[in-house]
Order: sequence, then C-alpha cells, then structure tokens
Amino acid sequence: MIPALIGAGALLAALALAGFAALLSFWAGWRQEAVLARAGRRAVYAAAACLLVAAAALEWALLSHDFQVAFVAEHTDLVTPVPLVVAAFYSGQQGSLLYWALILSLLGSASLAAAAALGVRLAAYAAGVLAGVLAFFLVVLVFLASPFDLLAFPPADRLGLNPVLRDRGMLIHPPFVLAGFAAFAIPFSFAVAALLAGRSDSAWMAHTRQLALTAWALQSTGLVLGMWWAYHVLGWGGYWGWDPVENVALLPWLATTAYLHSSQVQERRGRAGTLRAWNFGLVILAFLLVVFGTFIVRSGVVQSVHTFAVSPIGPWFFGLLAFLVVLSGGLLAFRARMLAAQRPLELAANREGAFLLQNLLLVGVAAAVFWGTVLPLVSGLVSGESRVVGAGFYERAAGPLLVVLLALLATGPLLPWRRTHPSWRALAWPAGAGLLALATLVGFGVRDPVPLLVMPLLAAGLATVLFEFGRLLRRPRRLRVLGYRRRHYGAYLAHLGLLLLAAGIAGSHFWQQQRDVVLRPGETANVAGYQLTYQGTLQRDLGDRSELVAVLRLGGETLEPARVQYPSLGGQGLTRVAIRSTPLEDLYVILAGGEGDSASFRILVNPLVTWVWAGGALLVLGVAFGNLGAGRRPSPVAAPVPALVRG
Amino acid sequence: MSGFRWLGVGAVLAACVGYLIYSAGGAAGNYYVTVAELRAHPPAGEVRVAGVVQDDVVRGEGGLLIHFTTAEGGARLPVVYRGPLPDIFQPGQQVVVEGRLDGDGVFQARSLFAKCPSRFTAAAG
Repeated sequence: MIPALIGAGALLAALALAGFAALLSFWAGWRQEAVLARAGRRAVYAAAACLLVAAAALEWALLSHDFQVAFVAEHTDLVTPVPLVVAAFYSGQQGSLLYWALILSLLGSASLAAAAALGVRLAAYAAGVLAGVLAFFLVVLVFLASPFDLLAFPPADRLGLNPVLRDRGMLIHPPFVLAGFAAFAIPFSFAVAALLAGRSDSAWMAHTRQLALTAWALQSTGLVLGMWWAYHVLGWGGYWGWDPVENVALLPWLATTAYLHSSQVQERRGRAGTLRAWNFGLVILAFLLVVFGTFIVRSGVVQSVHTFAVSPIGPWFFGLLAFLVVLSGGLLAFRARMLAAQRPLELAANREGAFLLQNLLLVGVAAAVFWGTVLPLVSGLVSGESRVVGAGFYERAAGPLLVVLLALLATGPLLPWRRTHPSWRALAWPAGAGLLALATLVGFGVRDPVPLLVMPLLAAGLATVLFEFGRLLRRPRRLRVLGYRRRHYGAYLAHLGLLLLAAGIAGSHFWQQQRDVVLRPGETANVAGYQLTYQGTLQRDLGDRSELVAVLRLGGETLEPARVQYPSLGGQGLTRVAIRSTPLEDLYVILAGGEGDSASFRILVNPLVTWVWAGGALLVLGVAFGNLGAGRRPSPVAAPVPALVRG
Repeated sequence: MSGFRWLGVGAVLAACVGYLIYSAGGAAGNYYVTVAELRAHPPAGEVRVAGVVQDDVVRGEGGLLIHFTTAEGGARLPVVYRGPLPDIFQPGQQVVVEGRLDGDGVFQARSLFAKCPSRFTAAAG
C-alpha cells in the first residue's frame, strides 16, 4: 500500500515535470534563452529522478509481496523465486512501460547533460522533444496503465509466472529489447530538434552517435537473447519464427543498421550535405518503427503467437504514431530546401556507393518484413479476408536482398572512400576465399544452388575481415594503431560477428535434419550418425513441479529430455529439451510423449547454431570495443587513408 | 546529375523489392480463417485456422500423432497433427493450425501454434 502511494505520487510528479520541461524547453528554444533552457533540462533530470523513485517503489511492492497492488498480484506469487520477482518489474504491461520511461529519462538526461555545446536552440528543442515523448509515456502510465493500481480485495497468494517464462533467458531478454527501444528515442529527439531549429549541420549526429550505437547494441543483444531463449526453452528446434512480435523488434534494428553506415558518409562529406536528408529520414524512421511495433504488440491488431494483454493503450500508441508521422514528414518537407545536398553522391564503385546501396537494400528488407507483418491487417481491411504469410514469404522476399547484402559485406569494406575507379585487385582475397569455399562445398557433395551461393559469399566476407586484421598485424606499432583506430577495428569485429551469426543461421537453415522416433527401452535410433539408445524414464519430484525424464545414452554421454509438470498451475507442462552442442552442430532432442513403456522423440540435428550465439556476442563486443570511451577520434583528414588501393 | 542516377538505382531496387514481395506473397501467403469460415467456404489450398481445442484429444504413436477437434462459434473441425505439441496445448487452449482439408473433411495440420501467454491468468486453471 505505502510503496504504491509513493510510486503513484512519483509518477504524477514525473508527468508534471516532463510536461513542464517540454513547454519550457520549446519556449526557451524559440526565445533562445539559455537560462530557461537549462531549467528545462533540469526538469528532465528531476523527472528521471522521480521515475527512479517510482521504479524503486514498484520493486519494493514486488519484493514485499504487496498483493494489494494489482500488478504485484497479477505477476508474482509467494513461491516465485526472488530473481523472477525482481524481473516481474518489466515482464508485465504496466511495469514494462515504466521501465521504458525510466530508461528513456536516464539516457535522455545523459545526452542532454552534454548538449549545451550544441547551441541554445538545438539543445532546448531536443530537450523539448525528449520531454514530450517522456510525457506521453507518463500520461499512459498515470491514466491508462498504472503499475500502482490497488485491488479492493487483495488475495492471500496468487498465480505466478508461466513456466516458460521462468528462465534466465527471460530475465535478461526483455530489458535489452525495451532499453534498445527506449534509446532510439534520443537520436530521434535530436534529429527532430535540428529540423525544428533549422540546423542542417551534422552536430546532432555527432552528439548522438554513441547513443545510436548503444541503442543498436542493446537491440542486437535483445534480439539474440530472444532467439537463444526460444531455442532453449520453447522446444521447437528453431529460434526465429517470423512472428509479428519478432518482426517489429527487427524493423528498427534494420533502420538503425542502415543509419550507422550512412552517417559515416555524412561525417566524411558533411560540408557538401551528402546524404543529409537521408540520415534525418533514417533516424526518424527507426523511432517511428519502434512506436509502430509497440502499437502492434500492445493492441492485438495482428495475430501473433505471443499474447500480450490487449489493453486500451493500443489506440494511444496509434495516435502517437500518426502524430509523429505527420510531424516528422511535415518537418522534412518544410526543410527540404535546406537539406538538399550541394553535391549529391556520385554513382560510383566506392565506399560511399557501397554504403548507399547497402542502405537501400536494408530499407528493402525492412519493407518486406513490414509488409508481411501488416498484411493480415491490410488484407482484412481491403477484402474482408485476412491473409497471412509464413516463413516462406520472408525467405523469398527478403532472402535475395540479404544475399546481395552479403556480397556487399565482402566487397564494400575493400572499396576506397571517394575514388571512383577502385583497383579491383583488392577483391582478389574475398574472391579467392569464395571460390575455395565453393569448390569445398561441391567436393562435399552440396548441389543445392542456394547454399552454394550463400556460403561462398560468407567465406568471402570472412576473408575481407581477416585481410583487414592481417594488414594491421603487418604494421609497426600495431597495438597503438589498434588503439587509435579502435572505431575502425571495432566495426570489423562487429562484421566478423555478423558473418558468424549469418553462417550459423544459414547452416541451421540449409542443413537441419529431423526425425521422429518411437523407442522402447533398450532400442537405438540412428539419426545423422548419432546412435541414441533409450534406457527408460524416471520420475523426479521437485516441490512445485514434477519431471518425467527420458534417459538416452549417446556413447558415454547421457541426454535427459524431460517433460515438467506444474500441478499448482493448472497442470501446465513444460518441455525441457536436451541439447548437446559442439562447435559444428547441435543434437537437439525433444521428448514428445509416451505410451506404456515406449517414448516418442523428435530428434533434430542443427548445424552451426552455436555460431549464432558466438557471432551475436562478437557483434556486441565489437561495438563496445570500438566505441566505449572512444571520445577522441582523429579527424578523417588526419586518419591514415587505407593504402589498399595501391595494392 | 548523379543524384538523379541514384534515384534511378533506388527506383530499380524498389521495383525489385516490390516484385519480390508480390511474388512471395502469392506463393507463400495463406488465408487466415476461423473454423466457421472454413466450414462455410472450404478453401482449395493451405489455410491457417484459428480455434479452441476441445476435450477429445487422442494421442497415438507414442504421443507424436494427435487427433483433436478445434471449434469456434459453434462450428467444429477434426484435426490430425504429427509432431511434438507446444507445452501449453490442452483442451480450452486457443490454437492456430496450418495445413489443408482432406477429402474426408479432416484437417491435416502441417504446423500447430498455441498462443504463448505473457503471464498466468485465473482462467488457465
């Protein structure tokens, strides 16, 4: 009761402060009043402090099992383990919105603290937009989805989390995705502020570069953790189902990936205004996709295997989306003359050209994913008959674009900046590696054209990255070079991670093997060279749950796929898959059921899945290495120009 | 001048993406219907059908072959599915099956999804 009162009060105070900050900041920016602008920023910091208090109050309510608070009663019970009680903060609708607002206010405050150098008007408008977005979330939190609503008749104990959510993957996956979503709002705020202020220079971009990268890294982590959780817990043998909920998390990631590359072109050639309008557009698009995704997920307008509490906040997010589309579209049109480049990008085989082509392809992939996601909605409205698409659609529509992107990943980094006539000799390495991979695959009897195209392209990309690190090793004082060009090498490390991840996805997609078997004790199944002997089942009683474990012997090892029952939760079951990972392939065993003394299994062999997780980790490590603490960067002119063109 | 060339590249690419989406949608798209709609207009190809699992679940072949009835709005549809079931599959659960109707009026499901709950509600028990 007391934490709920404190929390509700803190939210109300945060709303007042955010609303005040928004109005004051816009006024200060309009009048160019530095003192008022500073006051506006401080109001944002104060709102962040209030949100911290509200978050602490919610954790307090959760940990003290204050079942009078509806949110606590609906998401936890007395036997829920403490880490899961803590995590219930962001597992429910209201709590996740509070977490989102909290991250937005904290990262926003951090970015505003250093914004004064951008000039009064830009900094004030940025604070205004940011506070406006924050105020929207607080309106939702205070009036529509408060985590501090009280129950008239509090229960003594409640149902806890669903068993499939009782997993460490679920503890860490949502906060990363949500924090990534929240972080996208900050580059957006500065971009809109620059448009409002009529500033066509790249200062807003330089200022939010770290945060854009942070947002991207958080999103990448969240996506890979979500895949990891689905693979280990959901027990269907895969990790990506092209479900709308997954798609809407992927969309802003695609837009931001494009932006991280195209922004480099503007960084190098900013004075000519090259790609200036495009970069504004991409940052705005990324955040619009975040809002769109939130609308899709929280409104229930699209059928998904994930059920989120369908609530009245859907229309509100649709309203925000519509408002932001009109606002940013109008601003871009209004500033079109200012944004026009004095020197447009020439069509040439150089680094800029590769980046722009990559951007167009990424936007194309995003368009395909977007279309597949909204098709049920659009077709239902147009013809009254709802059409849905499955994985096949995404593979056919986005697959060819992804293949061209892989080719760019192998060639783009070797193309020089600015020049229009590159030396094609540089491409000898990736081309050689690709041909070698092709010959190897053909030698191993692969005849399917798609793997024969994709795998050599991945090998070529790998050669390109290794070539770059090889050049570093040949240089004198290589550690110093690694240090002052860490952004460069961090990016290559991220490329390496992406290539591994792509190889893992490709391998498990092309060469997954599957067999369903029914075994009696003592019988052996032979799947893809694995001899699995079924020894029988055993029953384990573990307090709140009981497990039926099937024991399978594989050589000297034991695999124990199981079915877990939670009698207290309506008898819901949980499949626990047995996974035996090696660097080359996973043996993935699902216990499907049993009759008498026989048991049935679905056995999958998933090649290269470990590479997906390793690649994801490397991807994020690369971004972290390249950017954490890398505030100082030699100017592009002073940076050594790659000597590659000279061969 | 070259800005216009990039516009050309963008236009060509947009046309490619449009074609890919169009052709993939034709090849891989299915209609999403409820059991009642399926009964009213039996479709020719594959469809996705949403319904609620009834109490007549029968498992065979060691649990890998499942016969059950899915129902919605008074209409019923017998379904056969082969494979491991989602954990939350049980009578009363809303499921989506993808597959086609065979000559005997039995729905041969190629895949089966259950709605993943975000948390427990009292209705689950």
